[in-house]
Amino acid sequence: MNLNWTAILPEIFITLTALGVLGIDLFYTRYQKDKTLNAIVTLSGMGIAFLLLPFLSAKTQIFTSLFVLDPLAIFFKMVFLISGSMTALISINYLKMEGFDLGEYYGVLLFSILGMMVMASANDFILIYLGLELMTVSFYVLSGFFKTDLRSNEAALKYLILGGFASALFLYGISLLYGVTGSTEISYIAGYLTEQTRTGADSVAGVTSAVLSHPLLSLSLIMLLAGLCFKVAAVPFHMWTPDVYEGAPTSVTAFMSVGPKAAGFVVMLRVLLVALGALEKQWMVILAVISILTMTLGNIVAIAQQNVKRMLAYSSIAHAGYILLGIVASARVLTAGSASVVFYILSYAFMNLGAFTVLLALRKEDKQTGLMVPAMDLEDFSGLSKRDPLTAFLMLIFMFSLTGIPPTAGFVGKFYLFMSAVDANLVWLAVIGVINSAISAYYYLRILVYIYMKEPKVVQSVDNSSSLWVALYVMALATLLIGILPNLLFNVARASVVSLF
Amino acid sequence: MLLVIIFTIFAAITIISAGMVAFSQNIVYSAFSLLFTFFGIAGLYVLLAADFLAATQLLIYVGGILVLLLFGVMLTHKIQEVNLSNESMRLAPAAIVVLAFLGLLSIAIYRTQWPTVPVPELTPTTARIGTLFMTDYLLPFEIASLVLLTALVGAVFIARGRVKK
Amino acid sequence: MPYILCFTVNRFMSPIPLSYYLVVSTLIFFIGMLGVLTRRNVLIILMSIELMLNAANINFIVFSYYLNSLRGQIFVFFVMTVAAAEAAVGLAVIVYLFRNKNTVNDDEFSLMRW
Repeated sequence: MNLNWTAILPEIFITLTALGVLGIDLFYTRYQKDKTLNAIVTLSGMGIAFLLLPFLSAKTQIFTSLFVLDPLAIFFKMVFLISGSMTALISINYLKMEGFDLGEYYGVLLFSILGMMVMASANDFILIYLGLELMTVSFYVLSGFFKTDLRSNEAALKYLILGGFASALFLYGISLLYGVTGSTEISYIAGYLTEQTRTGADSVAGVTSAVLSHPLLSLSLIMLLAGLCFKVAAVPFHMWTPDVYEGAPTSVTAFMSVGPKAAGFVVMLRVLLVALGALEKQWMVILAVISILTMTLGNIVAIAQQNVKRMLAYSSIAHAGYILLGIVASARVLTAGSASVVFYILSYAFMNLGAFTVLLALRKEDKQTGLMVPAMDLEDFSGLSKRDPLTAFLMLIFMFSLTGIPPTAGFVGKFYLFMSAVDANLVWLAVIGVINSAISAYYYLRILVYIYMKEPKVVQSVDNSSSLWVALYVMALATLLIGILPNLLFNVARASVVSLF
Repeated sequence: MLLVIIFTIFAAITIISAGMVAFSQNIVYSAFSLLFTFFGIAGLYVLLAADFLAATQLLIYVGGILVLLLFGVMLTHKIQEVNLSNESMRLAPAAIVVLAFLGLLSIAIYRTQWPTVPVPELTPTTARIGTLFMTDYLLPFEIASLVLLTALVGAVFIARGRVKK
Repeated sequence: MPYILCFTVNRFMSPIPLSYYLVVSTLIFFIGMLGVLTRRNVLIILMSIELMLNAANINFIVFSYYLNSLRGQIFVFFVMTVAAAEAAVGLAVIVYLFRNKNTVNDDEFSLMRW
């Protein structure tokens, strides 16, 4: 066994921080009035882990190649840590206002990030499954965190049931794959299937070998895809998304729309492009259909939503469709396609977290009780530009970016995605993607119409805590910077995927 | 021949009680049928030379998970009829989808030439599994412990009394 | 005890074809799936999910036996751990939901479309 402990240092740090937060909360912070210490510990732990990442030697395999640290894993771990720390920042004041400022939140949040980091590095289905479950179990808890709120309870329960169902499908797929190939290790499966392709091609021209056309292999592929599509909220498995996103605490929803999605996609890259690369003809077709359905359904249903949180949920479904389009393209143009996927995931992380943060910051006066409650509906946004022009402008940036209007990250990201589809001779897919972006402009810009062109209908207030605004500025700046200087990041994205193949 | 009979008994127990779990109208029957399913599966594990896992199956599933579920049944008996499932999925379409899938899978299994390797002599597996956990599979082992810790923290947090607003 | 068991199996029994076990696991998996899709009671749905996980576990053990590798057995151990964790969180959520439900109107229970 090769014990190169440095490769898992960031994970060790996150674990220690999580345990530390739980301990500090239990023995110290619980008795204090100001509970910001929990968040400070969490943020510094994530910061240290983040700073460690670039210094680790990429391309290390430890634990008999269960765990691999390649540039792709490092890139995704950075995405998780960035979006995780943004979530911690926006949560501080939100939790205080909702009366749930507890250490458990940060502890479980850190564990969910740990699960994602493990998924990004996993080279074996055992580790993928455990990372996935660590992440999912944490999110069951987080989505039910406002336990006095019935909506939050229901969101947790629904996520738990459908998530358990998807995990079971995923697991059955793994078990069939294990039976057919004889291993659960991704690089071994890849080698085995490629070997079969070659020997099959040698023996009978044009006919693939027995293993590759094996019906059980196709079934296991379908089940693996079902499990992963659930995690990234792609269409036949998207039903949970709007309800869970709506019911969960907004800070959790923001993270949930970014972290697990990114983690699902990194596993998808490894499983589809590496382990099942030999089956690309099969999964390409399935995934292309899923991608089209996901984009179209997400966008069309989003138009009908009056609740902004629900609308953003459907919009996140649509974005999963765009990213799937990139994965389909990478079946033909490996590097360009997967680089565009990786690039889009980071851009999406910033703009989507940003949009959810504005929603989280905005509060309105409840007419009956006179208390300030979270704003939810489109109406609540009306006239925001007059009351708070800065927040309105930031929302404008995020909405432009989600629509794909230059000079924002969303535009460049979509450009790379659709270009890779064109490179892969999938022009029709790119056209469908462009049409979908045009449809999405309707509901993204509708919010801006409410913000800039209508008169205020309710009394609004915007959270002005400094932590939240630090996060907002970072996300807005990142969205703009990526949009203006895309090459910088795209080169990093390209370098990170090259090592995959 | 003897093995086939034993196998048939265990398989029958497992399948029939699994059917009871999923289709019984009485939730208490379902929960107790699950006991027999877990037991039958443990029997199959013994036939497959997985002695350690057969014991673990009984300890964790019967002793842990089933007891948890029974507690759930008793604590929430009043919400039995509350509609929390996917209403759109009626029995007929669900059955069609599932049976089609089942048929596909069964055909696939039967058409497969499974490797008929000479089955190894059975030896107790516990020591070997223990060694693997402490060497090759140390990392997954630690992650699994963190999964349990998270579930513990989360379950205690959610289930304990109200927080003061 | 395990030694006696192994000895008996080695001495007196010939192995059963792999496909028999797979048929059992497939049946259990689809019974579980049907349960999840058609039942309305949350606890029965959780039990059906356990059935599906157990079906996958049988597969792992069968393949691990016929491939003569312990990897499948180790995977099953982890699946059991995770299943226990999921059941614990699931029960906590159900209990709290039940508690909340007692304090509010039954009519308001289904706030979100399921």
